[in-house]
Amino acid sequence: MSSIIELENVGKIFRIPHERRDTLKEHIVHFHRRIKYDDFNALKNIDLEVNEGDFLGIIGRNGSGKSTLLKILANIYTPTKGKIEVHGSISPFLELGIGFNGDLSARENVYLNGVILGLSYKEIDKKYRDMVAFAELEDFMEMKLKNFSSGMQVRLAFTIASQVNADIYLCDEVFAVGDLPFQKKCLNTFENLKRSGKTIIYVSHDLDSVEKFCTKTMLLENGEILAFGDTSKVVAKYKNSIQ
Amino acid sequence: MRQEKLFSKKNIRILREIAISDFKVRYQNSFLGYVWTLIKPLLLFAVLYVVFSVFMRFPVDNYQLYLLLGIIIWNFFAEATSIALRAFESKESLITKVYFPRIIIVIASTITSFLTFLLNMIIFFIFVAVSNIGFSFSFFFFPVYVIELYFLILSFALILAVLYIKFRDLSHIWDVLLQVGFWMTPIIYPVSLIPQTYHRLVYLNPLARVIEYSRSVFIQGHVPAINLNLVLFFMTIILFVISIFLFQRYQKSIPENI
Repeated sequence: MSSIIELENVGKIFRIPHERRDTLKEHIVHFHRRIKYDDFNALKNIDLEVNEGDFLGIIGRNGSGKSTLLKILANIYTPTKGKIEVHGSISPFLELGIGFNGDLSARENVYLNGVILGLSYKEIDKKYRDMVAFAELEDFMEMKLKNFSSGMQVRLAFTIASQVNADIYLCDEVFAVGDLPFQKKCLNTFENLKRSGKTIIYVSHDLDSVEKFCTKTMLLENGEILAFGDTSKVVAKYKNSIQ
Repeated sequence: MRQEKLFSKKNIRILREIAISDFKVRYQNSFLGYVWTLIKPLLLFAVLYVVFSVFMRFPVDNYQLYLLLGIIIWNFFAEATSIALRAFESKESLITKVYFPRIIIVIASTITSFLTFLLNMIIFFIFVAVSNIGFSFSFFFFPVYVIELYFLILSFALILAVLYIKFRDLSHIWDVLLQVGFWMTPIIYPVSLIPQTYHRLVYLNPLARVIEYSRSVFIQGHVPAINLNLVLFFMTIILFVISIFLFQRYQKSIPENI
């Protein structure tokens, strides 16, 4: 198995200003006073190697750097230092329904969101019927999205996101959405991705799902890797550290 | 940041989809739809036309065409830059949740206004058709000015969009500057009314050139001298290069600071 993601000594520092100065007026009025910054080390020296076909779980408390790490992998944040190599395409599940616009019809939103996630018009055309059936929204596709219930929206969003064909899937708390029967379908989708050898990186607080799916798990604390490896051991360590 | 080809098929699809969605939403949301964006410049035109052709008179032939063309071009500039200024703010989730080149968001926001501009130009052509000026081959030079105008607007849009992340009061400042700009640009009055010594200053404003040259092409029926066209061309290029440079420099920090 070859590695598909390699991180070497990756760090991310956010500069938090003591005072927020974001208008020109403030800059002019206080131009003689320099702003003081605090450096917040969101990630420190992360070394990580993910192999093709891994289902990697990332757990840890709030503020431990999980989401920052995902955003760096997704190319949204630029790391302050370190080297990143990604050999494959990435599909971000960081949030469902990116770009959704309530004033457009559900059908239009499928195209908008699908294209943003990297699908081509042809692919969307081809999969459209299946998607609508999967989301169980056959009768609602010409309705404006703002008239959808939140459950319907999230079902539609999950369905579109699951159509994206990438090598690596980044999931931030996104797993099973909707009502129970739909959650089952979501789990099925992930099972299929896993079986077809895709690489999945899954950030969650839901330890049950991490234990059930992840082949490896990483425990982050204060931006550092506290444990990495066998899921049951890492989860056990995390549970111990809380009690 | 890992680099990606800017004009890949995928990115062009994203650009198209964002621009069209915005366009649809803008015209669905108001009761009168497209008519609204048409009424705005036309109403301004009507008021100014009455004031400056009935109460005060400017020594300009075909003043109605002269004025309308100026207003439409200015309107495109003012609207596109004001929307682009807030482009990142209004598309926050596209920046913090998914990656594609951020410049696409700014380009998409200007394209929406560009479509409005094209629709407004149809009105202008109707005015031309019913006026007493005949067809002239110089009309065919107008697309050159449209392209230059677009790149001027895009340059302003890129600079404003990244600056807005740092200076949130820029939207108010830009509103005021647009007001000033409207009166500093020869939109309602002819340049000939300004003392000769200040002409250089007036033409430092590339928009003044676009508007004046476009009028020349339509109303006087001749293409301005080549050296004038070259000046405008280089002004556009220089501004565009500066804007790309600034944008490249600051775009990395956009997702963290928005």
